[in-house]
This record gives sequence, C-alpha cells and structure tokens, in this order.
Amino acid sequence: MNMKPISAKELEYLADSMSNEDLLIKQCTAGAMSCTNSQIQQVLLHQAQVHQQHYQSLLNCLQQHQSIAPTQPQG
Amino acid sequence: MYPQNQQFMPDEDLAYTVLSDLKRVTREYATAATESVCPTVRQHFTQLLNTTLIMQGELYNAMSQQNMYNTASPALRQEIDKQLKEYQQTQQKTNQFVQQRRSASQPSQQQWGYQQAPPWPIPNYVPQSAGHQGQHPNTQPSTGYFM
Repeated sequence: MNMKPISAKELEYLADSMSNEDLLIKQCTAGAMSCTNSQIQQVLLHQAQVHQQHYQSLLNCLQQHQSIAPTQPQG
Repeated sequence: MYPQNQQFMPDEDLAYTVLSDLKRVTREYATAATESVCPTVRQHFTQLLNTTLIMQGELYNAMSQQNMYNTASPALRQEIDKQLKEYQQTQQKTNQFVQQRRSASQPSQQQWGYQQAPPWPIPNYVPQSAGHQGQHPNTQPSTGYFM
C-alpha cells in the first residue's frame, strides 16, 4: 500500500474528524431517543452506527501511520 | 423516548441540528482531502466525504418528506434568462480568447493526455430507506458500508 508519513496538518484533520464523528454519534443517539417522529428516529439511529464506523476507520488510519512516523524532526 | 410535554427539543430542530453538522463535516472532509500528503489518507477522506454527503441527503429527504424543511422559493424565469444570457456571452468571449492564444503558439501544441479523475471505489453505502419513502419504518438498519 502506498503510505507516506502524515503531516502535522493531516494529524490535525484526523483528530478534528474524530471529534466531529464523536459528536455526531452522540447527537444522533440522543436525538433518536427524544424524537417522536419514527422516520427521523430510524434515520438517526441508523446514522449513529455509520458515524461509529467512521470513527473506527479514522482511528485505524491513525494507527497505521503510527508505525511509519519518524521519531525525530525531519530536515 | 421523552413524553410529548418534556421533549428535549422539537423534532425538526433536532433533525436540523444534525443536518447542519453533516453539512459542516462534509466541507471539512473536502478540505482535509485536498490538503492530504499521504495518498491513503486522501483516499480515506474522500470516501468519508462521499458517505457523509449521502447521509446528509438521506436526512434531508426524510425531513422534507415529513415537511420539516422549507425549501427555498423557485428562482424566477426572468432571473434565469438574465444569467443565461450573461454567461453565454462570457463563454463566447472566453472561447475567442482561448482560440487566439492557441493559434499564436500553434507549433507547440502539447498532448497532455489527461486522465479521468481517479476511479475511487464507490462507497458501498446502503441508504437507510432505499425507496425514498419511509414506508418500512421497521426495516433493520443495514450496515453494509465501505469499511
């Protein structure tokens, strides 16, 4: 696989994206619980699961880059 | 579920909050993809962008079916006519500009051989309500995503 060490910027984006997905997991779950409309409720419940998958995939992506990251500042 | 009188928020406000977050996250994934150095990270953000766009559309459709979303009023015919005329003229002028510049440097026509945009694998997203209708509220949520 074509993997390069990630930049500081990419690290920030990965971290920010996990914060976003985390917020959406909670929003969708809590929202679905308080929602009285069943169609909206179904969509929110379903999407909460997708956001969990997104979160996990971002976490995996970060883990994959952990091993190839330099431990000393480069040039 | 909350009883009607102590609901956390009206349904439409609640759905709207999630919808606007999906819109924001879509933009952030697009920015992240364009600024990625590592190709696998870029591809990752691109896939997340696609799935998030689909989810935003899915929630929007559900909200509009439940009359929770006021669609903007349609643009007037004369406004469309005006923009169309203006941009047809712009296109014509730009075409002339391109032709002039090209004919001035005719000998060095270079073959760029652009390729199509990279064929990213299309996320294996299974929309929650496949038929656009909320006819099957008891359907089990499917989990066949790309990951």
